[in-house]
Amino acid sequence: MLTYTLWRIARIIPVALVVVTLIFLLFRMVPGDPARAIAGSQALESTVEQIRHQLGLDRPIYVQYWNYLKGLPRGNLGFSGIYQGNAAPVIIQHLPPTLALLGSSILLTILIGVPAGIVSALNRGNAVDYVISLLVVGMLSIPNFWLGMMLISLFAVSYHLLPSFGFSSALALVLPTLAVSARLVAVVARMTRSSMLEVLQRDYVRTARAKGLNHSVIVYKHALRNALIPTITTVGLQAGYLLGGSIVIEQLFAWPGIGQLMINSVGLRDFNMVQGITVIFSIGFLVINLLVDLVYAIVNPRIEYR
Amino acid sequence: MHHPSSRQPIGLGRVLAGLGLALVALLGGAFAQGKPTTITFAQSVAVTDLGPAYGAFLNYPAGYEVGYVIYDRLVTFNADLKIVPQLATSWETSSDGLTWTFHLRHGVKFQDGTPFDAQAVKFNIERMMDSKRNTTNRPLWDPIAGAKVVDPYTVQIITNKPYAMLLNTLAHGSGAMVSPTAIEKNGDKSMTTKPVGTGPYMLDSFIPGQEVVLKAFPDYWGGKPPVDRLVFKYVPDASTRVAALRAGQVDVIDDIPPQLAVTLKGDPNISLIAKPGLRPMGFAINTNHAPLDNLDVRQALNYAVPRDAIAKNIFLGYAQAADSPLAFNTFGHQSIGGFSYDPAKAKQLLAAAGWTPGPNKMLQKDGKTLTLSMYTPEGLFPGDVDVAQVVAKSLEDVGIKVNITKIDKGGYWDYLRQPLDQLKWDIAMFGFNPSNGAGTYQMDSLFVSNPNPQQPPVAWNITRFDNSQVDSLVNQAKVTIDPQKRADLLGQAEKIVWNDAPYIWLQVNESISATRSNVAGVEVWPTLFTIVRDAHLK
Repeated sequence: MLTYTLWRIARIIPVALVVVTLIFLLFRMVPGDPARAIAGSQALESTVEQIRHQLGLDRPIYVQYWNYLKGLPRGNLGFSGIYQGNAAPVIIQHLPPTLALLGSSILLTILIGVPAGIVSALNRGNAVDYVISLLVVGMLSIPNFWLGMMLISLFAVSYHLLPSFGFSSALALVLPTLAVSARLVAVVARMTRSSMLEVLQRDYVRTARAKGLNHSVIVYKHALRNALIPTITTVGLQAGYLLGGSIVIEQLFAWPGIGQLMINSVGLRDFNMVQGITVIFSIGFLVINLLVDLVYAIVNPRIEYR
Repeated sequence: MHHPSSRQPIGLGRVLAGLGLALVALLGGAFAQGKPTTITFAQSVAVTDLGPAYGAFLNYPAGYEVGYVIYDRLVTFNADLKIVPQLATSWETSSDGLTWTFHLRHGVKFQDGTPFDAQAVKFNIERMMDSKRNTTNRPLWDPIAGAKVVDPYTVQIITNKPYAMLLNTLAHGSGAMVSPTAIEKNGDKSMTTKPVGTGPYMLDSFIPGQEVVLKAFPDYWGGKPPVDRLVFKYVPDASTRVAALRAGQVDVIDDIPPQLAVTLKGDPNISLIAKPGLRPMGFAINTNHAPLDNLDVRQALNYAVPRDAIAKNIFLGYAQAADSPLAFNTFGHQSIGGFSYDPAKAKQLLAAAGWTPGPNKMLQKDGKTLTLSMYTPEGLFPGDVDVAQVVAKSLEDVGIKVNITKIDKGGYWDYLRQPLDQLKWDIAMFGFNPSNGAGTYQMDSLFVSNPNPQQPPVAWNITRFDNSQVDSLVNQAKVTIDPQKRADLLGQAEKIVWNDAPYIWLQVNESISATRSNVAGVEVWPTLFTIVRDAHLK
């Protein structure tokens, strides 16, 4: 297990390097000039030239690339012309809101989605199953930005119960969390229901039943552990995407996270900032993948890594 | 956001209720009287930089809006864009127009305690003249040759040539006076995150890209500021800003689209402030490309477009049809008008240029259909794509085929400024906002001929407009200090440009902001700025 973990961690480095290289190259191919973005639309050509020189954008691309790689281990993600400094501290300042939203959404998703899926599977074909399935389809079909707007208009504007925007308090987490998790809850509930149904029909469950084991022991000890594997994969993937910030929700709730920083930086051609976010995002994604694999082993001891 | 408790007539019931409340207040530890007053402004753009040099208050306009509160300038604009005294109480110009003498306000202190004097002015002017430190706003600062201390409260600014726009430059956000001792102590770039000015509010905390919190500066020369704290928060989505204002979570919001502004009109808790901007929108015409080199054709395009209907229907009245190359509030604007919507006249002019309807009603000449390539950005200018579609449809109504290309807003400027042989557009949406309020600056940037039309334009003459009379009128205006004479020169140039139609002239939009009705003193400047410097609670 330990060897496996270390091996997985070591594998992150080359993958991250490939991602950094691709992003670096891709961003130099898109139209739009970061020097002009800094200089302002009304600047003279000579001004733009000067800023281009200050940012080192007039140097050969391999020099820029090498300088970038050299800076990474020291936490230097490059100079952001828009923030007039190293991109790294700015990204770090935008991480807590995104992580808070990620954590609360995943927690809510697991707390509601998994039990809903189990209940639905155990009640297959009866009224409870239908009601849950109906809710699931509803939650899958509602676009999250629309749900967000409705939540703001109901809870913030009409009743003044919750803040409409911003990362100011725990209460401010409620509305964006609901808007983000509605879809995730539905996805997880559906995933849990179908894998639960599949597992409940397996031979070993029938054997356990034939042995006369208690119903809840069969469901929670034998069936659920196996059924949870696809669910964990789904939750892990969704968490990975949320790490990049739910861009739509962050914009809507003025949530000062990574997604918002990303969309602003793309619009302003702040190359180094976008690269920095992508580097942190890819490494975070790889770490989450690793965690998911480790959770498999905890949930289902039959899975072993060598 | 709340006033300390207001006084009301006292009755027995009230006293008992009051005692109950007092108990609750005590238990809650809420000392209502001591609660600081705060005004919160939700901005549509994130503030990432608070320094006037090194990029200058990125991003526009949010950084400038905070800068106008933290810092003072020698002179400033009022809400009508007239220049009024700020740190200079009076000034005069030498007879040759090269030396400006400013008399400074006494008893002014920077927020770090440094006294403000002529030496500080010299320090700041020289700082902004240095093109290594001040990389942006060069056209504003290049004409200045130096600054001289006469006595502690008198300073002279010297220019190489008479510089008519000097006061506009000094009133511009980049004219902010920063504390020389703070720069010495914290470093040359320190203003970016640790601004120190002489304005009514000083920095409390700043998270770049998220929020700026300012607190009252007790030693402000203008007296005690009206509220304890000013908070600027970044709220990118317009409907979220409106929701937050309606919920009372913020007190001031900016950049409200007309469609949302009309929904706020009847709300008793909210006051709308709308102000015509300085940016006349239009479609720049590639005047070198046949048949657009023909005046009749360019004028026909202008007759074919219903600019009044665009202002009224797309912007719901929060815009006006342009009547000059300069917007209504820009210095030197002269109303010229004409080109009222007249498709019949447009067809007539096109026929005169040899374009006659073919079998499919589209105009043809020598077997070729009249086709224009139109470029528009998406989300850069107000209602840009909607306007482009209306313009394309109206041109098609007179028989001109239009191919629309939509460009992502980040890359749009590059498409406008190509060398002539690489230009892919016949008409491209563009609007110039003279952030110093000076018509001379705009006419100079857009309509003075390029030294080499093949090259990318030095400023923004993307139409490659070339008229020697306009060149000489604008160049003369640049060195004419007398405002009336300058306006006359600009007016003559505007008339020539307008009638020569290097643009399809469109509309001037209004900037719309809103406040809670208990907030007063918020100004919307024609330069797109929402200024909360004098904001207070009623």
